[in-house]
Amino acid sequence: MKNIKKILGIFSLLALVFALVACGPQEDSGQATGDEGKKEDNNKEYDLLVWEDVEKSEGIADAVAKFEEENDVKVKVVEKAYAQQIEDLRLDGPGGTGPDVFTMPGDQIGTAVVEGLLKELNVGEDVTSIYTEAAMNSQTVDGKVYGLPKAVETTMLFYNKDIVSEDELPTTLDGWYDLSKELTDGENFGLLALFDQIYYANSVLSGYGGYIFGQDENGNYIPTDLGLNNEGAIEGANQIQKFYAEKLFPSGIIGEQGIQVLDSLFSEGKAAAVISGPWNLGPYEEAGIDYGVVKLPELANGENMSAFVGVKSYNVSAYSKNAELAEKLVVFLANEENSKTRYELTKEVPAVAALADDPAVTESEAAQAVAEQSQFSELMPNIPEMNSVWDPADAALQTIATGKAEPKEALDQAVETIKGSIEAANSSK
Amino acid sequence: MQHRTRALILSIIPGFGQFYNKQWVKGLVYLVLTASFFIVFKDLLNMGLWGIVTLGTEVPRDNSIFLLAEGILAVIVTVMGLFIYYLNLKDAYKNGRLRDEGKLPNTLRDQYRNLVEQGYPYVVAGPSLFILIFAVVFPILFSIALAFTNYDLYHSPPAKLIDWVGLDTFANIFTVDIWRSTFFDVLAWTVVWTLCASTLQVSLGIFLAVVVNQKDLRFKKFIRTVLVLPWAVPGFVTILVFAGLFNDSFGAINNDILAFFGIDPVPWLTDANWSRLALIMMQGWLGFPFVFLVTTGVLQSIPEELYEAATIDGASIFAKFKNITFPMILIAMAPIIITQFTFNFNNFNIIYLFNGGGPAMPGTTAGGTDILVSWIYKLTMQSSQYSLAAALTILLSIFVIAIALWQFRKTNSFKEE
Repeated sequence: MKNIKKILGIFSLLALVFALVACGPQEDSGQATGDEGKKEDNNKEYDLLVWEDVEKSEGIADAVAKFEEENDVKVKVVEKAYAQQIEDLRLDGPGGTGPDVFTMPGDQIGTAVVEGLLKELNVGEDVTSIYTEAAMNSQTVDGKVYGLPKAVETTMLFYNKDIVSEDELPTTLDGWYDLSKELTDGENFGLLALFDQIYYANSVLSGYGGYIFGQDENGNYIPTDLGLNNEGAIEGANQIQKFYAEKLFPSGIIGEQGIQVLDSLFSEGKAAAVISGPWNLGPYEEAGIDYGVVKLPELANGENMSAFVGVKSYNVSAYSKNAELAEKLVVFLANEENSKTRYELTKEVPAVAALADDPAVTESEAAQAVAEQSQFSELMPNIPEMNSVWDPADAALQTIATGKAEPKEALDQAVETIKGSIEAANSSK
Repeated sequence: MQHRTRALILSIIPGFGQFYNKQWVKGLVYLVLTASFFIVFKDLLNMGLWGIVTLGTEVPRDNSIFLLAEGILAVIVTVMGLFIYYLNLKDAYKNGRLRDEGKLPNTLRDQYRNLVEQGYPYVVAGPSLFILIFAVVFPILFSIALAFTNYDLYHSPPAKLIDWVGLDTFANIFTVDIWRSTFFDVLAWTVVWTLCASTLQVSLGIFLAVVVNQKDLRFKKFIRTVLVLPWAVPGFVTILVFAGLFNDSFGAINNDILAFFGIDPVPWLTDANWSRLALIMMQGWLGFPFVFLVTTGVLQSIPEELYEAATIDGASIFAKFKNITFPMILIAMAPIIITQFTFNFNNFNIIYLFNGGGPAMPGTTAGGTDILVSWIYKLTMQSSQYSLAAALTILLSIFVIAIALWQFRKTNSFKEE
């Protein structure tokens, strides 16, 4: 019996060797082209697949129809949750069911480029120059353009007209601080904001001179230069802590569930004002609140509160089989005329510079607030290192808000953690 | 040369050994099986085995992740093929030996009867085993394999290839500062959480079952139904509702319940220790109905004579519980109790939905209530550290499996009769 095992062992080894010898990549390339041919056959019913944000496809319906006619092609538009698209592309792209054109948040462009999910666009100055500079920067990595901006959004101040009238609206954060003190009684509140999250708190921190990543003269982010714990940032954090320490911000809006609590407080008319984004224009209206929208207030040092500009864009998937046509469609969808149509239908503020003065935009209070706030705003860094910032920065701000840590030590700690995390992520680079 | 050796050597090409033994049908089956194996799986084996060794050589042609998946499939198929090959060799050898001993090999009818009678369990279990391999074994192998690669943001297809890096990722866990310090913090809380939450839900369930099972109690059915209700509501809904109830400034627990007793508001969501307490209580609430139901079933099956005998001997209620009820429950329930522990060890839902692992703690990358799984989830989602997550998952599985095995061996429930 011992013998047989030995013989068996040798045989199985031989079998394995035979199997391995036959292996190789040569056949692979042949196979791949075969697959491609097959796929094109399957996809005959359309030439381009577009993933559009949910409930936003009516904004491009006309443009798509026109594009189809002009180029004699068939374009299929599918609605898909905006933040989900890049996630799905990771699997659907290589699987052959991915889109040619899709839409994504501008701050993830850097990550997507590192992963190789985006196709570079060969567009000239004539195309890129119609957009605001900040919006276009979000689509640019190392001088190469990877998409065209579709819409911009910034945070702004929503105020309840029943509680604060338009005339006596404070224009400074200190003014709001005083008003909040007056209004806060445990049930009702003055100004509320999610300053335990860097997305919102950066408005204050950067007004005092804090920053997340420093930039070189070409506007490229320097991942080693962190400004979250400089003097300005600490001063800003002190201002933030004041609101929590005085109980003007209840501890119930701190943490994961904070955003729901904040939204419901404003929707129930218990908060005089909140800092939020355009995504809440509809919901607050449905809640029956008579609200107004203005740009964020000024800080005590006379600076405007900044805001992160979120850019939504049209991009071409690296897996697109029809990249040239896809690029053409992106340029067409994002041009001035179609941007305007899209704005009228979807109310998403376009990034085309000329449209900022267009009556269609200036008429709307919300669009006006976004456009105004954009002037004092900065881009969300689009480099992959930003992924390491969110959690530690939020954690630090949360400990500041709950009073568990002093601003300086918390921010020092956060910067330490971010550095460690960037280093760890890059160790294998 | 003996028949067995000759048959063995001939069946290097499957089927020929059987032909030599004059088992034509069986030989043909083996031969056709082998041929079709190679025809059907030629491409998969070719690409897969090449892929799993190299993980691709060229971008954008090769996508390392797909090659890895294909490679694992190829390995599984190869192992299955080798197993059939082994059966073929063994069969040829066995029948050759029968001939050496002067007996006749089994006839076709005998073989069929053998297969149906002795192999019946295998025939029935076969399909599910087959599915099990692809639905369970394959994903496990895949994530184990990932732990030995450098798959992260900067090495992700289609832009880059992935490489095998051996044990580097495991070494990183224990050398990179921000992970090492956090790992043991999180592990400590995970263990405490598992022990407290599971013990609470198990003892609460058993206690209530015993109480409700008292003979004199009326409305038993009604009480049982009410007690099972927490289980009937989907867990994630319950957790989200609780998250609202526990809210520091607006939750009903602080504002109504505690206020009614004149107790100051408790920082449930912003203080780590209070959050932990809240989580353990919630898990007790969510987890006890199942234990309650099973215990109720066990209680019905305890023979009444035992209690009668005990009563005659003058045992108190507590003595009866301690010496009859409790040991009987434990024997029947041990496996279930163990699964409660392993479940809580990996209870991602409650941690993530309640407070996202928060509140934030100064100086760590994990929140105050993060257990290992939720921490791993954060790591992967936030900085795309896929290989690190896979490596941590392996460590975590080893931990859970070791404890489960140890427990299984200590209880009598799993001893084979």
